[in-house]
Amino acid sequence: MTIGLDQYIAVSSMLFAIGFFGVLLRKNTLVIYMSLELMLNAANLALIAFSRYHETVGGNLFVFFVISVAAAEVAVGLAIIVALFRKKQTVQVEELNALNN
Amino acid sequence: MSTELLQQIAETNRWGAIYPELALGILALALLALEAVLPKFAHGLIPRISILGQSILLGYILLFDRSGCCSGEAFGGMLSFDGTGQAFRILFLATSIFVSYLAMVSLEKREFPRIEYCHILLVVSGALMLLAQSNHFVMFFVALETATVGFYVLVSYYRTSYLSLEAGLKYLVMGALSSAILLFGIVLLYGAGSNPALEGSSADPLNFSNLYIFLVANPTDMMAIIGMLLVISGIAFKIGAFPFQIWVPDVYQGAPIPTTALLAVGSKAAGFAMLINMVEVFEPLKAWMYPLLSGIVALTILFGNLAALTQRNLKRVIGMSGVSHAGFLGMGVLASTQVEWATNAVVFYLFAYMLASMAVFAVMAHLPKNDDAELTIDDLSELSKKNGFLGFALAVGVGSLAGIPPLAGFIGKLLIFVAAFQAELYGLLAVGIIGVVISIYYYFGIIKSAFFEAWTFKDEELEEENPGVPGETLQLFGKLAIVVAVTGTIILGFWQGPIGTWIAG
Repeated sequence: MTIGLDQYIAVSSMLFAIGFFGVLLRKNTLVIYMSLELMLNAANLALIAFSRYHETVGGNLFVFFVISVAAAEVAVGLAIIVALFRKKQTVQVEELNALNN
Repeated sequence: MSTELLQQIAETNRWGAIYPELALGILALALLALEAVLPKFAHGLIPRISILGQSILLGYILLFDRSGCCSGEAFGGMLSFDGTGQAFRILFLATSIFVSYLAMVSLEKREFPRIEYCHILLVVSGALMLLAQSNHFVMFFVALETATVGFYVLVSYYRTSYLSLEAGLKYLVMGALSSAILLFGIVLLYGAGSNPALEGSSADPLNFSNLYIFLVANPTDMMAIIGMLLVISGIAFKIGAFPFQIWVPDVYQGAPIPTTALLAVGSKAAGFAMLINMVEVFEPLKAWMYPLLSGIVALTILFGNLAALTQRNLKRVIGMSGVSHAGFLGMGVLASTQVEWATNAVVFYLFAYMLASMAVFAVMAHLPKNDDAELTIDDLSELSKKNGFLGFALAVGVGSLAGIPPLAGFIGKLLIFVAAFQAELYGLLAVGIIGVVISIYYYFGIIKSAFFEAWTFKDEELEEENPGVPGETLQLFGKLAIVVAVTGTIILGFWQGPIGTWIAG
């Protein structure tokens, strides 16, 4: 069997779904954060696959922007998580519930 | 790619057309440079310099460049300028000036550094301006993320306050999730639009006009429809529409007051700028998009108003009422698919909403309580007696948000409803009117607390000694900001003048 565009898109969709449900279901903030990155990478994989098989260059270029955006997000996000951990000594979401009426 | 093509693209780089964004970027860098150059005792001047610079820019645009100096595409189709885009520029700039002022007041009270806040605020405002005028998904995504990453920092800016950090984390997870969903939607649209086997495909389907041509040729392409759904969901997250509004009350409560104001006005307006563009691009998919948007709008209006009824925390009330305002604005966007001038009505509503919200937030910033995450409606008690000026400003702001007749908010709602009527959206219109009726109740609760005496239980032993007077921190500058917001609200209610003719198209 040859690997074509459909297989790439299937893998990428699966990665996206895993990431999405990881964000919704996992309880550890760092794991949630990894799931978010997984979703961005799923989009990257699909972009590259489309770009390669449809022979347009736009997708390849877009991936660079997505990677740099993801890096900026990680820099800010981890800083917030570390600051929160210093205050509360936990990264479990169910213990971060002070803002609830 | 040949060098000739690159040269052709480079010729479309019209740097003069994006002078407001460039000016904001330069001002942002200048603030950091000034912090290094000026002696420590003069650092208090820097936020004032920021406000002054933005006011000069706003004055220039209002006097000489109201309708936009340029039109058409630029930067190889990345940006496209028109009158609506220019109106959004003015809106974001005015918001940014008010938020700078709020930041000056609240951060001074809590003794947090102000210069970095003003810097990030300017960058975010510039990004929002670009976002409103983007004409290409790469520009769209990068501008959106520049603003969003800035928002993460601004929400968790009180880094010693646990509530602010928790709000920051919640906004981070929700914001990143919505960005990822939006991005995947863009990728699917790219995949569909670049497929050479389909009619209307192009080498650059991320350009809005190319994508529109593709969608006209293939209105039933499944991949494009899923992509459209994901993009609309991602935008719905940003504007806080049902069912993506879960982050709104928590984040609004925990964030510093200036950030809450920026989220309530700037982020929401940016969401609608995106939605207005997207509705045009996705017009060929209307069989799927209109029912989806109608459902979202109706549920948003009902949910926002009903959820606001039960809240006592001032920022949560404003947050949930903001959700219902998003519903009304969404109704205007839906109407704009049938009625040409409805887009202008949405912009007018946003201006009225901006002025009213800023009046309310300015009053909140001048209340004596130190921790603004714990402001409740009871903290407003007898505000009118303690400080008549703030009481009046609150009444005008809240009245305009509620849509009480002579104020700008009423005209905004009226225009949206007329547009919806002309577009024959009768069901939504009924839901909107029910929503307005419900909203009067909780808005009146705020006014009641500020103007009428209510018996409250006072524990003599626990009584704090002198909690402070509202408006102690009010200075000439602050009065000026509030006066501008309040008179703007009143004037726009009575007299629409040139704006009225502009709305009529």
